[in-house]
Amino acid sequence: MDTLLTAEIAANSPRYRRRSSTFIDGVHDLPDENASPMAPAQLYSTMSGRLFHSGRIAIVLVGPPARGKTHISVSLCRYLQWLGVKTRVFHLGDYRRATMGPNVDVPEDYFFVNASPSSVLLRGKIVKKCREDIYAWLNHENGQVAIYDAVNPLASGRRSLAKEFAKHDVQTLFLESYVTDEKILQENARSVKISSPDFVGMDPDDAAKLYLKRIDIKIPSFETMNESDLNYVKMINAGQTIQYNNVSFGYLSYRIIFYLMNLHIKSRQTFFARAGTSSHEDSYKMDAPLSEEGKEYAKKMTETLLAHREAERAASVVKGGADVPLKPLTVWTSTRKRTIETAEYLKELGYPVRQRSQMSQLNPGVCEKLSERAIRRIYPDEVLMHEKDPYHHRYPRAESYHDLAVRLEPIILELEREQNDLLIIAHESVLRVLYGYLMACDAMAIPTLKFPRDEIIEIIPASYQNEAKRIHIPGLAPEMIPGSPEDIKIPVPLSGVASPMSSIGTPAEPVNPLSED
Amino acid sequence: MTPPHKTNGVGVQAGDTQICVVMVGLPARGKSLIAQKAQRYLKWLSIDAMVFNVGNYRRQDSPQPGADFFDQSNAEGERMRRAAAEAAVTDMLKWFAKGGVVGILDATNSTKARRRWVKERCDAQGIETLFVESQCDDEDIIMSNILEVKTTSPDYQGQDPETAVQDFRKRIRNYEKVYQTIDEEENDLTYLKIMNVGKQVIINRIQDYLQSRVVYYLMNLHIKPRSIWLSRHGESEFNLEGKIGGDANLSPRGEMYARKLPELVRQSVGDDRPLTVWTSTLKRTIATARFLPENYNQLQWKALDELDSGVCDCLTYQEISELYPEDFKARDEDKYNYRYRGGESYRDVVIRLEPIIMELERSENILIVTHQAVLRCIYAYFMKKSQADSPWMAVPLHTLIKLTPKAYGTLEERYDAKIPAVSTWRGKGSVAKHEDPNATTDSIGKADGAV
Repeated sequence: MDTLLTAEIAANSPRYRRRSSTFIDGVHDLPDENASPMAPAQLYSTMSGRLFHSGRIAIVLVGPPARGKTHISVSLCRYLQWLGVKTRVFHLGDYRRATMGPNVDVPEDYFFVNASPSSVLLRGKIVKKCREDIYAWLNHENGQVAIYDAVNPLASGRRSLAKEFAKHDVQTLFLESYVTDEKILQENARSVKISSPDFVGMDPDDAAKLYLKRIDIKIPSFETMNESDLNYVKMINAGQTIQYNNVSFGYLSYRIIFYLMNLHIKSRQTFFARAGTSSHEDSYKMDAPLSEEGKEYAKKMTETLLAHREAERAASVVKGGADVPLKPLTVWTSTRKRTIETAEYLKELGYPVRQRSQMSQLNPGVCEKLSERAIRRIYPDEVLMHEKDPYHHRYPRAESYHDLAVRLEPIILELEREQNDLLIIAHESVLRVLYGYLMACDAMAIPTLKFPRDEIIEIIPASYQNEAKRIHIPGLAPEMIPGSPEDIKIPVPLSGVASPMSSIGTPAEPVNPLSED
Repeated sequence: MTPPHKTNGVGVQAGDTQICVVMVGLPARGKSLIAQKAQRYLKWLSIDAMVFNVGNYRRQDSPQPGADFFDQSNAEGERMRRAAAEAAVTDMLKWFAKGGVVGILDATNSTKARRRWVKERCDAQGIETLFVESQCDDEDIIMSNILEVKTTSPDYQGQDPETAVQDFRKRIRNYEKVYQTIDEEENDLTYLKIMNVGKQVIINRIQDYLQSRVVYYLMNLHIKPRSIWLSRHGESEFNLEGKIGGDANLSPRGEMYARKLPELVRQSVGDDRPLTVWTSTLKRTIATARFLPENYNQLQWKALDELDSGVCDCLTYQEISELYPEDFKARDEDKYNYRYRGGESYRDVVIRLEPIIMELERSENILIVTHQAVLRCIYAYFMKKSQADSPWMAVPLHTLIKLTPKAYGTLEERYDAKIPAVSTWRGKGSVAKHEDPNATTDSIGKADGAV
């Protein structure tokens, strides 16, 4: 009874929803709306704060555990937030864990259809708390989409859920992950679920076993979706087939399906590397080739990356992972010479290299070749505006980071689709935006993300939140490392030159414009 | 599709996949419309696409067959239809062998056996197949398809429309007898099945990004009637000086056009319903749109900014031909692929406009105020202009263009504001200055402009 008592106290306490499952990630911790009114790739804003001519929507996940529901919820949430749709995920599991308290498991019969009255009561409390948070988000926090990550196993329960949401003027779109392929289940239980907070510190195999045990308990009571009167998307075997039953949905659902078509649940790494430096002072318009130092960098970067991949593989085998060959590696560059030439060594080694014109760097507009001083002198008003909103502000004829994010949209979907490991060689401004997407960064943080040239960034996908790792490239000349200025108040730093340029980009300490000249 | 190497930029690289989009469905289900739109969209994106319409092959031997021809028990009809399919697929595979990227096989492909046969033919040549089935039981939609499309079909040309409709319905019934929808037995196929205008959709085994892009595009097509209005900005100070690019203000005559635009739009729309207005982020388009009614929602898109002419920005053609004579010549030779030093090519502009086109396809009534090169690209999408012609198209200043997409092609109306403006046109291979497009005989499709 202790368990129940704790749960009761927790469930009756004021709204306690954890801001996130991990307390640190951008997907779950939404930035203060006033500080950051627009999302990274948001095209427009409306008075109501809702986009795509859609009202308020509950996306309700359906499926037993180990079907990738959390992965789908989090990925979809990240994508919708990126587009500016105010979205939040509500994992019922979080509420369960928060209610039970640390290291306390739910009662044995908790997941049974014919559970004891006390378990039914507990379940009801947990669900109620979660729903209250969903309504609070939609009604009082100006949310547009609530993603409700729970099992929702029965048709009758789903119907009444849709009815309940309709009463609150919320449309419901069910999203079922239906898996018949045993291999996907095993893989999912082993590799994805162990990063869930339920299994922190547990042996991966034990965690997988525990998970599969829970599934066994749950499966007899599960009904797959077949309700022709409900809006639903059914993903079968991780997107091999997608069925869509559309009673009343518009564009936003197509956008979601487009995204789901490109989503997969296989684990793969993404690497980011800077382009090398150019022979003489580069500028946006010049498109200069690599210098000797730049070529040296390209070689060292290539060696470091390949060695790192081999080392990771060896480490995984030591830890008991399967002794399988490395995933193939694909390289994407922009169409700018410096990025293409940086990939040259990899190309010689036989790695496929694709050029993507969308990945060229931020256009500096009138700021090209101007020193920061000159910019401050010639465009004092623009500098003020830029300092207020470095993400959206664009200097005359320049691109803002927002413009860049919008133009990178096809790249983002291809990034989701790619099943091989991927190395992206691009200008720092492009890396900032792509990193911002994968790590769900706040728009305002994107312009100041740092990618020194002596580091390769590795993004490791995980269910709750992706992780980033920095791999050091040894032996680079110190002058080539900080290619871009550290604080970007002026767009498109000259990152191509071999010596750090203090002339463009605001230095770390603000310059007093009155004191110059 | 490799751009000639005299261009100073690197063109878009398509993936290494080749896809055969196989249409599936009874007659009058909008297959040809979907096939045409998909082809137009892909070609516009520089993805080499081609429709192979089996009906056209069949018509070479039997131009106007009656419904009996399509009865499955008619051995002669069956033989000829099979031969037509064979010929179309053979031609398509030849086209793939020459590097085609997306071939669209427009036919009923109504049986599992036929679909299997198409897949095997494609597999043998390493071509992916994407089956697109349009299934529709809505009588109203079928009837309007029958009336709008099929009474203008070459099969019934010159016949009494009433008899034509009857015969066509009979033909459909003949197909219905043997029609097999795509089902679980064909789960190894990659397919998109759209039922009842998108009420139900099944997407199976999408293999790559390009396929997902095609599927997304097809899902976004809507059939509600709507129009799109296009206008260039009013004449700018740079237009007067013959300079390209820049971010100049409107000239006094450009200002007059801005004031006249609301009236011109109202006249064209015909009523008071508000439009959504999209402009670029440059001063001259924003200024041109600023007198439009307040209830028009206005959005600025960076993607609608003029083609970036890099180092040539703010120069006159005379100056460009003096400073960069080789570039000037190279651009005339292949204007679509020519990328200004440090700037963009038309091809680059099309790529950045792609999200705009997707938004346009799903939206209803939109007014776009933008620039000559951008407008040429959007116009080329709707009017299916080739890459060789679109960069040379004449788009005069101070003119409102209304485009209304229809089943087969797009209707165009132009409204002249009758406010004089300089020409921003320059003929291919001609002198380095702007000219009067009316002075040459073949000005349509052969005129050049600011960039």
